[in-house]
Amino acid sequence: MANPLLADTPGATHLLLGNEAIVRGCVEAGVQVVTCYPGTPSSEVPDTFYKLSPEGKYYFEYSVNEKVALEVAAGATMGGAKALVTMKHVGVNVAADPLMTLCYTGAPGGLVLLSADDPGCHSSQNEQDNRIYARLGGMPVLEPATAQEAKDMARDGLLLSKKHGAPLLLRTTTRVNHLRGPVEFGPAPDPGKPDGFTRSPSKFVPIPAFSRPMHLALIDRLAALREEAEHSPYNTVTGEGKLGIVCSGISRAYVADALAASGLADKCSVLELGFTHPLPETLCLDFLNGVDKVLVVEELEPILENDLRVLAQKNGLGVKISGKDALPRHGEFNITMVDNAIRAELGEGPVPACDCELPELPGRPPNLCAGCPHRGTYFAARNVFGDDAIYSSDIGCYTLGILPPLKAADFLVCMGSSVSAGSGMAMATGKPVVAFIGDSTFFHSGLTGVANAVFNKHNLLLVVLDNRTTAMTGHQPNPGVDKTVIGENDNPLSIEAAIRGLGVTEIRTVNPFNQKKTVEAFEELKALSGVRVLIAKEPCPLYARRVYKKVAPQVAYVAESCVGRHDCLEKLACPAMYRDGDKAAINPILCNGCMLCLQVCGHIKAKKRGS
Amino acid sequence: MRDVTPIKIFMTGVGGQGTLTATTLLAKTVLAQGLPVTSGEIHGMAQRGGVVESTVLIGCKSPKIGHGEADILLGFEPMETLRALPYLKKGGLVLSATEFMPPLAVAMGKQACPSIDEVKARVAECTSEAYFMDSQTIGMEAGAVQAGNVALLAALCASGKLPFGPEALEAAIKANLPAKLQPVNLKALELGVKALSS
Repeated sequence: MANPLLADTPGATHLLLGNEAIVRGCVEAGVQVVTCYPGTPSSEVPDTFYKLSPEGKYYFEYSVNEKVALEVAAGATMGGAKALVTMKHVGVNVAADPLMTLCYTGAPGGLVLLSADDPGCHSSQNEQDNRIYARLGGMPVLEPATAQEAKDMARDGLLLSKKHGAPLLLRTTTRVNHLRGPVEFGPAPDPGKPDGFTRSPSKFVPIPAFSRPMHLALIDRLAALREEAEHSPYNTVTGEGKLGIVCSGISRAYVADALAASGLADKCSVLELGFTHPLPETLCLDFLNGVDKVLVVEELEPILENDLRVLAQKNGLGVKISGKDALPRHGEFNITMVDNAIRAELGEGPVPACDCELPELPGRPPNLCAGCPHRGTYFAARNVFGDDAIYSSDIGCYTLGILPPLKAADFLVCMGSSVSAGSGMAMATGKPVVAFIGDSTFFHSGLTGVANAVFNKHNLLLVVLDNRTTAMTGHQPNPGVDKTVIGENDNPLSIEAAIRGLGVTEIRTVNPFNQKKTVEAFEELKALSGVRVLIAKEPCPLYARRVYKKVAPQVAYVAESCVGRHDCLEKLACPAMYRDGDKAAINPILCNGCMLCLQVCGHIKAKKRGS
Repeated sequence: MRDVTPIKIFMTGVGGQGTLTATTLLAKTVLAQGLPVTSGEIHGMAQRGGVVESTVLIGCKSPKIGHGEADILLGFEPMETLRALPYLKKGGLVLSATEFMPPLAVAMGKQACPSIDEVKARVAECTSEAYFMDSQTIGMEAGAVQAGNVALLAALCASGKLPFGPEALEAAIKANLPAKLQPVNLKALELGVKALSS
């Protein structure tokens, strides 16, 4: 039986994650090509497509980075395929170069770019608002608020994109990607074959002579899309009160629940915008004309607010518009916050705040797992370099090395920056720099940094933390993996060969759980200058269990002879270890059997698992 | 969908405990009763031993619960119950596990968890309706430690605060869990209902 997400069962209702709903919507639109680079909160979209790919009627790939993902999809849509590209918000920065030009050439087969933004930085380095990219490039934008809309907007977005030949931004936020709600299915037709490529260099080759008319065509396309927005079922007006509330995205849910709870709905009119760009100006103008004042409820940047201010000014309206003066420009909203903003506009007092005071509680920060090979690499690096080196970090689980006692992250900019920002740090300070990059991040954007470091003769010790998978985002494959959850990778790329090919001559490969060899390799490379690379190669234990079906046969235990120095606890901070009275102890269920601790203290021994 | 008075349930626990699975099971139970449901969760760092918070909202459009909004607080670990207490509406219902899962700083002897009595006392300052149960022990008695989550859900369903009882959860277990996991979870359900009344 087909997976429910692929089955042609119109009318069926399933409880879906927002990201699963997006998959279903694309299937209903007949998606033919899906590319991505994984990243929270977008990852369940490509992961679901990947898992279903043996039975799905679409092409799927994990691309090496977001720029490549968008370029593959750009070629596919020019070849007439309906394409979906998924990434987290900061991934769009990587893909921005092809994106801006793709808005000129257009997407004849249709193309939806899912940008999963992360207000509140649940799992990101910033909370940039990617609706701005749509204004920069000239793209239509759909912003769902529920699981049902995530499905419907993915479907309608892809069809609308194809109709106008315009790449479309499906903009979600973490709360939408990771909510669950009932979704009623539509039909899931056979996607058939892509339409094929129609040769037309003046449309697809942006040399200056062609770019100028392409820009005009883009402006015309936006005008046609504005007409679509005026009549879109995703833009609605409800209520007849004199306080106008304009909202989009997940804020629409907070507004709906706040009005239901406060009983103030009859004093408000609500303009909900799901199709937010180009702005449906006639609809908005009618709304502004019918109210005394306006509260704009949107997370992050004042984008709709400013659009409405411009619209009011152009039309000589004096209506008072509030937005970022009433609600914050950072972080997420919630029902009470929105409720209080509405109350304030209506001259009502806020809902009573909770006054309970908590004692200070021990924190529960995420930590490198028991048996994580990065712990071995960091421990050895600290032993050899201590605080003399500056540690350049990168994006992945291994950023958790920032925590004491390992303290292996001193600065970080973005994916791949460990290599290039590390080069700059070494050049500016003259100090030793040890840079850490994961295997997937290395393929994403480390290669160019290595070429640059070799070419410009930088002085850098680069450590590739090769745990054989993309661990952080849920064990997606990358070009270096030999095995995946749905089969073998017959032709894994060798990181060592790639680095050698880029001109690095001093390369060592070690298993980081062999501390003696790892420390020796660090010592050797420390004595040299120029670009040097240590590859610390050992699978992520969670991945090893899941894909290689491998569990270490032995676990560590603390012998009776323990004298309570607690070196093991203090130096490794392994989550399987704990203090038991004066002695140290190891939880045999949590222990992954990496045996790093045996190399730290002679009182720790190995025994057969389960004995 | 039936019209219903909104109910907001805030759930909290520790990565790896299975709280997201429990959240989805509860959301499916609500949906199967023909009630409008939204649930929310935050992924990403969840597998790395951090705090995992999730929500189930009946009759709401939002997936998120702010401070002072939760009608029900379901704590799968007692210190996390305490940490999440600001989310509870004054006088709301608290159902909590009693068995601590010490974070690293506590395991290393650098900090201490509050005692279960302190947790209970703080909870009592916010509400008189609180139930504590040894859900891990109950789970183990049923056959698997994770089944303790179902025992807590069962107690919630038996509390009378939801528009359905434990039989709805029983039906959801039978409809959604793999056959070999059903007996353990049905046993945990029975023990959870019993624990609430004892």
